[in-house]
Amino acid sequence: MNRILGIELRRSAAAGSVLMLLLAGVIMLYVAPRRWSPGWMPLVMIQREYLVLLWPLSLAVGAWQSRREHRSNVAELFASTARPRAQRMLPTLAALGIAVTCAYLATAAVAVPWIIGTARYLPATAFVVAAVGALAMIAAAWLGLALGRLLPHVVTAPALAVAGIGLLMVLPAAVRHREWLALIFSPMFGMGQYTDYQTVYGRVSAAQAIWLVALAGAGAVLLASDSWRTRVAALLPAILGASLAIMVIPRDDKFVATPIDPVAQEQVCAEGSPRVCVSRVHSGLLPEVVPVARQALAMLAKLPNPPTTAHEDTTTYYPATSPPRQADVVLMQITVDDHGHLTHEADMLREMVAALGANTDGCSGPSPSVPVMRAAGSWLMGREPVTDDSDESAEVNAEAVKLWQGLQNLPEKEAAARVGAVRQAAMACADLDGLLTGRAQ
Amino acid sequence: MRTVSAAETAPTTHPWAVHAEGLRVRAGRHLAVDGLDLALGAGVHGLLGPNGAGKTTLIRALATVVRPAGGRLRLLGEPVDGRADLRRVRRGLGYLPQQFGFYPRFTVREFVEYMAWLKEMPKSMVPGAVQRAIDRVGLTSKANARMKTLSGGMLRRAGIAQAVVNDPEVLLLDEPTVGLDPEQRLDFRELLRDVGLDSCVLVSTHLVEDVVAACSDVVMINEGRLVYQGTPDDLIAQGGTGDAGDSPAERGYSALLRRHRSEAGR
Repeated sequence: MNRILGIELRRSAAAGSVLMLLLAGVIMLYVAPRRWSPGWMPLVMIQREYLVLLWPLSLAVGAWQSRREHRSNVAELFASTARPRAQRMLPTLAALGIAVTCAYLATAAVAVPWIIGTARYLPATAFVVAAVGALAMIAAAWLGLALGRLLPHVVTAPALAVAGIGLLMVLPAAVRHREWLALIFSPMFGMGQYTDYQTVYGRVSAAQAIWLVALAGAGAVLLASDSWRTRVAALLPAILGASLAIMVIPRDDKFVATPIDPVAQEQVCAEGSPRVCVSRVHSGLLPEVVPVARQALAMLAKLPNPPTTAHEDTTTYYPATSPPRQADVVLMQITVDDHGHLTHEADMLREMVAALGANTDGCSGPSPSVPVMRAAGSWLMGREPVTDDSDESAEVNAEAVKLWQGLQNLPEKEAAARVGAVRQAAMACADLDGLLTGRAQ
Repeated sequence: MRTVSAAETAPTTHPWAVHAEGLRVRAGRHLAVDGLDLALGAGVHGLLGPNGAGKTTLIRALATVVRPAGGRLRLLGEPVDGRADLRRVRRGLGYLPQQFGFYPRFTVREFVEYMAWLKEMPKSMVPGAVQRAIDRVGLTSKANARMKTLSGGMLRRAGIAQAVVNDPEVLLLDEPTVGLDPEQRLDFRELLRDVGLDSCVLVSTHLVEDVVAACSDVVMINEGRLVYQGTPDDLIAQGGTGDAGDSPAERGYSALLRRHRSEAGR
């Protein structure tokens, strides 16, 4: 059996399919590395999302391989041999299973050196998500083998590939509000990254794994069957697996909506002071973040009661989560580039100072006065206010410049007190108008 | 030298390797073998008959590829019918179909090894048996060539190699000499005589000369029935100077066929 498996690995579609799937997978990953460069979990999830193409390709590989027996006209010869059909199919199943698994894992391996320097947080869930992805590839290849055997035609493989893509695209729309159904039956559904803290819950992975094992089993039974009775019996594992998966999958809305990993979201701090912390998923970026954050804290230190700590802003919108509002904490937006490194450091610095270290998220009512905030921030940075919004009317910045000049003309202490008052008011969601003007006290 | 299993040295309990009584086999809807009685033991049996006589259908039934429609068929002492477990019988079969199908990307050695695996040979015997089978058909230098690169004659020999790899007790060859050049035909006859020493070999062919040269026994069928069974010398003796044919054996063949047709017409 091992020698025969070796022959099948060399001579079947296995070797060629590894190359094709690997190439397709790597191209998709590197077309948009920004989607997965922030960490390991984003990498394995984005790879799952690319099953939209890899899954149907795997299906086609199976169907293509299955045609060999029909095309080479060996049925007559093999029918006279002792070994039962089911056993004869084992090396083929194993060879294709190994091939698609290797291709899937090798694709991930190609991405590893790209982010190994910056990605730190590697939860066990990442391995589970990757394993379910590999399982999906095996199930597709085996199902393809079975379908290719039932319909041994040259167009079967390309038709299955197209049908597979169509199925994965249509499925989420077809199940409408019952998104949990799409989560079971589509290995790519819900894998798009909305935040870097996203995860896949264990029970969801368990339900997916149950269904995929059942699907792979149904494919294998269908391939090995030599009568209509066993072909019908192949439906049994599929039905059982689907029922079991439906029982296991959580239907709670919070499970279905992009789930957040609270451990990934936790703040991890650098040594030394002032304290600078980022989320665990970005902890590899701390050496790059710390100098920028401390520079911003130094600028804010001109204020009375200045913030002393910088935290990453881990706000997520769906589901809505936000870090606690603390007077001594200034929030920073971490942006990651294609290579997994910190990017837009200047913007990060400017935003931290321009917001005066005040977290105004969650304030209701009108947004804080732009000219006042800009003039106060510019005074801290020691430069003239400039607009960063081309749609903004010129009067807004002219007003900011006027306020800023007023601050420049004041004694240092007085100016700091007024900017400090703006910060206090912003944190209290209060009106800022008039806080920078008036007479020197 | 090789280890001999207990099963191999056990005395055979069947008088005939192939024993058919009133055998009927369908080819599609047509009854291609119709009431055939045949008993074959060890030796090389040449199967002769005109096109459409039922030669291929008979060989397919003996290869357990088609199920008999009626009558009795025993192979190696075991009944072959719809309910029987054919696994044991099949381990003792070697078969080269008229249309020899193969996996083109496999090398000769890989394909013969694959067939040895399908025939459920003991694992330890496979590598040696594969090499011996390839050597016997003279493909040693082509053992590592892909099947798709072989010429017609080489493919035929690869087909014979896979058929003999398990030292079959019943070897069924459907027109094995097609595509072989005269020298290869001589080697092939040698191989047949060698295998026929302790196995039952049934070779279907159109070439009467091959039968006379290589077979110990001649089986002739027409319209699904046995016309004649005897030695090649006896076949030659059937022909007279007035019969069609360029050799004594061909004249014997035509004489038998003519006689059978006139009897059937009566």
